[in-house]
Amino acid sequence: MRRGIVGNLLLAGGLGFIAVIVLLPFWWVISSSIKQTSEIISITPTMVPHSFTLAHFDKLLRSSDFPRFLANSLIVAAGAMAITVVLAALAGYAFFRLKFPGQGLLYRLILVGYAFPGIVVLVPLYGMMSAAHLIDSLLALIIIDVTFALPFAIWMMRAFLVAVPSEVEEAARLDGASHMTVLTRIIVPMIAPGLASVAIFAFVSSWTEYLFASVLIQSDAHKTLPVGLAGIIGQYQVDWGLMLAGATLTTVPVVILFAFIGRYFVTGLTTGAVK
Amino acid sequence: MRHRRSRRARREALFAWLLGAPVILWLGATLVYPLVASMIYSVENIRIIGSPGAFVGLSNYVAILTDPDFWMAFLRSLIWVVGNSVAQVFLAFISALILAQAFPGVRIARIWIILTWIVPTIVIVIVWRWLLSTSGGMINPLLMELGIIDSPIGFFSTSVSAMATLVLINSWRWFPFIAVMLLAGIQRIPGDLYEAATVDGVSGFQQFRHITMPLLQPTIFVLTIIGTLLSFNVFDIVWLLTGGGPADATTTLPILIYRTAFKGYRLSEAAAMSVVATVVLMGFALLAVRTLAPSREDK
Repeated sequence: MRRGIVGNLLLAGGLGFIAVIVLLPFWWVISSSIKQTSEIISITPTMVPHSFTLAHFDKLLRSSDFPRFLANSLIVAAGAMAITVVLAALAGYAFFRLKFPGQGLLYRLILVGYAFPGIVVLVPLYGMMSAAHLIDSLLALIIIDVTFALPFAIWMMRAFLVAVPSEVEEAARLDGASHMTVLTRIIVPMIAPGLASVAIFAFVSSWTEYLFASVLIQSDAHKTLPVGLAGIIGQYQVDWGLMLAGATLTTVPVVILFAFIGRYFVTGLTTGAVK
Repeated sequence: MRHRRSRRARREALFAWLLGAPVILWLGATLVYPLVASMIYSVENIRIIGSPGAFVGLSNYVAILTDPDFWMAFLRSLIWVVGNSVAQVFLAFISALILAQAFPGVRIARIWIILTWIVPTIVIVIVWRWLLSTSGGMINPLLMELGIIDSPIGFFSTSVSAMATLVLINSWRWFPFIAVMLLAGIQRIPGDLYEAATVDGVSGFQQFRHITMPLLQPTIFVLTIIGTLLSFNVFDIVWLLTGGGPADATTTLPILIYRTAFKGYRLSEAAAMSVVATVVLMGFALLAVRTLAPSREDK
């Protein structure tokens, strides 16, 4: 489609607007995390830092529990990610490459799980975890994070699994390969980008989870970043520098991960929507 | 031959169930079972988690359904959901139309627009608490510079502004997700439709109205339903920014359930609220699933 001058101006304006609302808040936070406190709380804010200090990061890493929260979050997110990828790949293969009775109904039921309100099962899950002696354990968080990542993860697998030509599979089957061999040797390598996007989804949703972590974890030693940082906010009500440094460091891991597999992730998100 | 084919199909079905079994068991244990447990809790009188309570019939339901706090929270959830849908779909629509154009850097823009969605909510909470704060922060000085306000305003200090601010923050977080989905819908519209329209001298706006809009309708419909469910579930942003205040003005249903269970220790009432919420939401969900699940032809 050709655009006139007006069209180009509109496009540039709109693009500028989106860029500002998406990026500017992050720029303010990241750039302010290296400002001295006096500049952070000054009434005339600065777009570009006039002062420079790493004191906030130093305080965060040396004299707060942030490193421990970070380690806990990494453990939980990595665990939830690994389990989700394996389970979603297996179930995805069954749903989108095989035929079995009850397929449609089961898929629908799992999809309902995607929008299922976590708050509704919070009390019984707390009871179950307490009966299983998993209160204050990172394992409990891994289990629950997998639960809430799985439905969407399976849905995301669809785009990638449907794209594998059935001839490839049939040829292998004719050569006498079993279903399992076809899955592990042929399908898995072909859907690697799909697995990567499921991985990042599971990682991100676990990384951000607050509700269950706030109820199931009780000791500081096992807190994850969201709960830990929320505690720090309460403790140091006015130490914006510390909080901005915390926000910056919490964002970094997901952004790094996203820089590598963001492309596949957005593909999975959008092509999965193809009906 | 017929016999062999059916044996093959049976083996395939068995293998499929085997692959699906871990997921079924997992979700059964962590979603279905707790949901049933919630229903049981809701007709009992439980004070301490883990210890059984006496059967009390529907009295918990009577208690919550006659409690104005419950209905107010219900109403606030409704306002919350509608507000979020409108703001998100509006922002997402503009973004999707822009990202559907060809321009240098569009591929990068299509990926990184999702940034606000992948950032942990706790970061979003910190970001906006600071940006909107009356000491330091960025928004108040900006608005004062622009001459919109005279003195710093507390965005979370009055009921209306607290709710509106939360809706905007949550929409800011979610609109890119909707935008990316809408973009996929736009890109699926065959290009020759527009070409034919251009040949026939149809203007850009008319093309948007008569081609883009009608063909996007199913996508918008599905996204609105999913968006409704996902917005309803939002807990952390509200809890961490306002705690449900000021004066309960942002106490949506999830906040009320959380407070009833873990601050008030009225577990059975919280369970009853959960069941009511589930019933209402599943009404929506059924609708969503009908449109989301693969239709019979393409399976």
